[in-house]
Amino acid sequence: MRALFSLLHVLGGVVFMFGLTLIVPMLVAWAGNETTLHLFVKDMVLTCGAGLLLWGGFRPFRRELRIKDGFLLVTLVWAGLPVFAMLPLMSHLDISATDAYFEAVSGLTATGATVLTGLDTLPASINIWRGELQWFGGMGVIVLAVAILPMLGIGGRQLYKAETPGPMKDSKLTPRIAQTAKGLWLIYAVLTLACFAAYWVAGMSWQDALMHAFTTMGLAGFSSHDASFGYFNSPLLEFIAVMFMLVAGINFATHFRFVRERTFGIYNHDGEAKAFVFTVLFSGVLIGLYLWALDHYPDVLTSLRYAVFNTVSVATTTGYASTDFGLWPFFAGFWMLLLGTFSTSSGSTGGGIKMIRARLLTLQLYRELKRLLHPSAQIPVRYAGASVPNQVIFAVLAFFFVFVMTAIVMTLAMMATGLEPVTALTAVIATLSNIGPGLGAVGPSTTFAVLNDFQTSLCTLAMILGRLEMFTFLVVLTPAFWRS
Amino acid sequence: MERLLPIVHVLGLVVLIFAFALLLPVATAIYFDDAAQRAYDEAFAITFGSGLLMWLATRHKKRELQIKDGFLLVAMVWAVLPAFATLPFLIYFPDISFTDAYFETVSGMTTTGSTILSGLDTLPPSINMWRAELVWVGGMGLIVLAVAILPLLGIGGRQMFKAETPGPMKDSQLTPRIAQTAKGLWLVYALITLTCILAYWAAGMSKFDAVVHAFTTMGLGGFSTHDASFGHFNSPLIEMVCVVFMLIAGVNFATHFLAFRTRRLGAYGYDTEAHAFWIVTLGSALIIAAYLLWWKVYPDFLTALRYSLFNTVSIATSTGYASTDYNQWPIFAPLLMLLLSCFASSSGSTGGGIKMVRAMLLFKQGLREMARLLHPNAILPVKFQDMVVPNNIIYAVLAYLFLYLVSVVVMTLLMTASGLDFISSFSAVLVSINNTGPGLDKVGPATTYAVLTDFQTWVCTFAMLLGRLELFTFFVLLTRTFWRS
Repeated sequence: MRALFSLLHVLGGVVFMFGLTLIVPMLVAWAGNETTLHLFVKDMVLTCGAGLLLWGGFRPFRRELRIKDGFLLVTLVWAGLPVFAMLPLMSHLDISATDAYFEAVSGLTATGATVLTGLDTLPASINIWRGELQWFGGMGVIVLAVAILPMLGIGGRQLYKAETPGPMKDSKLTPRIAQTAKGLWLIYAVLTLACFAAYWVAGMSWQDALMHAFTTMGLAGFSSHDASFGYFNSPLLEFIAVMFMLVAGINFATHFRFVRERTFGIYNHDGEAKAFVFTVLFSGVLIGLYLWALDHYPDVLTSLRYAVFNTVSVATTTGYASTDFGLWPFFAGFWMLLLGTFSTSSGSTGGGIKMIRARLLTLQLYRELKRLLHPSAQIPVRYAGASVPNQVIFAVLAFFFVFVMTAIVMTLAMMATGLEPVTALTAVIATLSNIGPGLGAVGPSTTFAVLNDFQTSLCTLAMILGRLEMFTFLVVLTPAFWRS
Repeated sequence: MERLLPIVHVLGLVVLIFAFALLLPVATAIYFDDAAQRAYDEAFAITFGSGLLMWLATRHKKRELQIKDGFLLVAMVWAVLPAFATLPFLIYFPDISFTDAYFETVSGMTTTGSTILSGLDTLPPSINMWRAELVWVGGMGLIVLAVAILPLLGIGGRQMFKAETPGPMKDSQLTPRIAQTAKGLWLVYALITLTCILAYWAAGMSKFDAVVHAFTTMGLGGFSTHDASFGHFNSPLIEMVCVVFMLIAGVNFATHFLAFRTRRLGAYGYDTEAHAFWIVTLGSALIIAAYLLWWKVYPDFLTALRYSLFNTVSIATSTGYASTDYNQWPIFAPLLMLLLSCFASSSGSTGGGIKMVRAMLLFKQGLREMARLLHPNAILPVKFQDMVVPNNIIYAVLAYLFLYLVSVVVMTLLMTASGLDFISSFSAVLVSINNTGPGLDKVGPATTYAVLTDFQTWVCTFAMLLGRLELFTFFVLLTRTFWRS
C-alpha cells in the first residue's frame, strides 16, 4: 500500500500539470468568442485542485521511485488522467460518463475511436481539446515506448534497452524519463510544427491544421469533421497526411539519432522502419489494385489514391478515413485492420504488437522448422546482426499469446452481449491496437455510440490494455505484485 | 529426388493395402443389393494396380526409412490416399468434379466430417459405408501418427511425449516403431468401436446406422447417413451414448492402451490432459445451456442442456455431428463451440486443433512471463505433471500456435478475397484446420460445402490436410534445409 501512496503523490503532480494544458482550448474558446469559456475555467480549477490535493495529501509518503513502481505508475496515469480529461467533454456535451471516459481514453491512448457525431458543429475549443489529448497521449506514448517499457522488460522490449537515449544503467525511474523525454519531445514538437505548416499551406484552416497535426503525429485519428479527411477531398492534403503518418510510425529513437548525427544512413540501419514502410505501402498498392480489379473505382489512379491513404491510415493505427472503406469488399477493410495489429515500429506512437515483434516471431518460427531437421543443433535467432537472448524471444511469444487471447476473450464477451461477429471482432481489434474505427456497426461512417455501456467499457479497457502493452496492466493484477 | 523413391516404394505398399478397404463397401453393396455395386470393381483395380506399380517400379531403391523421411511419407500418405479414395465417388456420381470428390475423401481421411453431398438419406448404403470407413481408417492412421510418428519427428513440442509412447523408444528406424505401436493401439481402437456399435444398436439405431455412426464417432469424424445428422434420430438416449463415446475418443489412446494393459482405471487418474479436456468441454456445455436459456432459445433448462451438451461436445471434440441447426442460436454459442474445437481434444486422440496439452503449456508459459517481469533474474521452470518442461518444447509449442494463427488468418483472407462473407470464411477455415466439420452461416450444419467455389474448396481441403499434419510436417517440406542432402 505504501507503494501506491507514494505513486499517488507523483500522480498528483502529473494531474496538476495536466490541468494546465486546458489553457489551449481556453485560448481557442476566447479567440472564437465562445460562450462557454467559464466551463473550461471550472474544469481547470477542478483538475488542478484535485492534483494539488493528491500531491499534498500523499507528500509524507514521498520516496525515490524504483523500476518496479513503473508498472503501477504507468497504469495509474493512463487510467487516471482520462478521468480529468473527460470533464470538459461532460460539461460541454450531453453524454454519459461511460461515453466521455471512452472518448478521453481514446484520446490519451492515441486511438481515435469516437462516440461523438456532428463533429463539424462542435465548438472549436472542444475539438482542439480532443486533438490536444491525442498529442499529449502521443508524447506519453513515445516516452513509454522508448524509455519505460524497455526498462520494465515488457514483451521482449529489453532488447531495446541499449538503444535508448538517456542514462542506461540507472535503476531510478525519474531521471531516466526526464532525460529521454527532453530529446524526444523536441523532435516530436518540431515534426508537429512542420505537419501543421504543411496542412495550413495545403489549404486547411489554421484550427483544422492544428487539430489534424496533433492527431497525425500521435497516430491517433480524431478529426474535426464527421467525414474525416473525406471532408477536404484534396489529394494534396491526403499525400501530406500519408507522409507524416509514415514518419510518425518510425521509432522516435531513430529520429533522435538522425537529428544528432545528421545522416540518412541512420534510417537505412533501422530494419524495423524499412519493413514497416514497405509492408504498409505494398499493401496499400495491392488493395488499390484489388479494388480496381473489382471495378470499385473507375480508374486505377483513383483506386490507388483511396487505397493508399486509408491503408496507411489504418495500418499506422491512425484511423482517418478519406472515404467509407466499410463499403469496400470485406477483404480490403479486414486486411487493413490486420496490418494495424503489427505494422508500426516499436518506439513510435503506433499501437499493436509492433513490427519488431512480428519479425522476431517469424524468425523464431523459421528456427523451429530448422530444428525439426536438426534436433540437437543450437540455432540462435539473429536480429540486426546480433543473436537474440532466449528471454527476449520468450517474452515476445508470450506477448503475442496474451494479445491474441485478450482479443478472443473480448470478442466473445462483445458477442455474448448481442453484437454481431464482424462488429465485435473489429471493434476489439481497432481498440486493442489503438487504431480507431472498425468495420460493420463501428465502421468509418459510424461511431462507437452504437455500443451499449458494457461494450463501451470493454473497448475502453482494450484501449488501455493495448497502450500499456498488456503486461504492464496485467502484472498489477497479480497477487505477487502486491507482496512486498 | 533420389530421396523420394524409397518413400514412393513404401507409399505403393500402403496404396496396395488400402485397396482392400474397398471390400467393406463391396460387401455392403451386395448385402443391400444397392445401385453402387459396379462402382467398386474398377476402383479396386485402379487402386491395387497403381499401388503394385509404384511398389514394383521402385523396389531397387528400397532402403530402411529414417526419421527424416517421416515428414515426406506422412504428407504423401495423407495427400495421396484420398485421391484413390475418390474413385468410387467419381464412378458412381458422373457429375461430381474431382475437386469436390477429393474434398469429400480428404474430409473423411482427416476425420473432419465436412461434406459436399446432400440427400445423404437416399444415397446407396455402400457409398455411406465407404465414407464412414474412410473416417475410421483415417482415425487408425491418426492414432499412430499422433502417438508414434509426430512425437518422433518432434512436431510442435510433441517430443515431450516420446517417453510415454508404447513400443520401442530409442530406435531410430521408422518401420518397427510404427508396427509395434499400431498393434496395441488398433486393438484398443477396434474394441471401443465394437462397444460403440453395440451401444448404438441397443439404443435403437438400425444395424447399418450403428456401424456407420460408430465408425465416425470413434474417428471423431462426424459423417452421418442422414442430412439431419443426429437430429434424424431425435433420441436423447442415442445422443447420450454418442456424447460418452466422443468423450472417450477425445482422450489420448496411449492412456487407453495403458488402462487396457494394466486393467486399471488408474491410468486415467494420471492423465491431467484428459481431465482438462473433460472439464473444459462439459463446463462449456453448461455455460452454453445457461446462455441459451437466458436468450429463451429453449423453454426449460433440461432441453437446453440436452441440445447444448450434444452439440458442444460434438464440435469441441472436433467430431461435427449436429442434433439441431445450432447456426440459429445466438452467434456467441456456436463461436464458443468452434473456439473449443481449436484446443479441447487430447494430443494422442483422433481429435483436431492445437490440442489440450499445448493449450495448458501456453497458459503456464503466460503465467511464467508475468512472474518474470517482477523477478527478472529468477529461474522459473514450467512444470507439467510434476516434470520440468524443457525450454525447447515451450519454443516449439509457441511457434506452433503462431503458425496455426497465421495460417488461419491467411486462409481466411484468401476466402474473403474470393468473395465469401466473413463468418462463412472464418468458420470454414477454422473447422477445416481443426478437422471439425460443419461451420457457420453458408457452411453451417444445415447446409453443405457445395456452395463454395472450386478455389474455396481447395483452400478448405488444404486446411484439412494442414491441420491433420500439424502444420510443421507440411511446412518443413518447403524449407531448403529439408531438400539439402
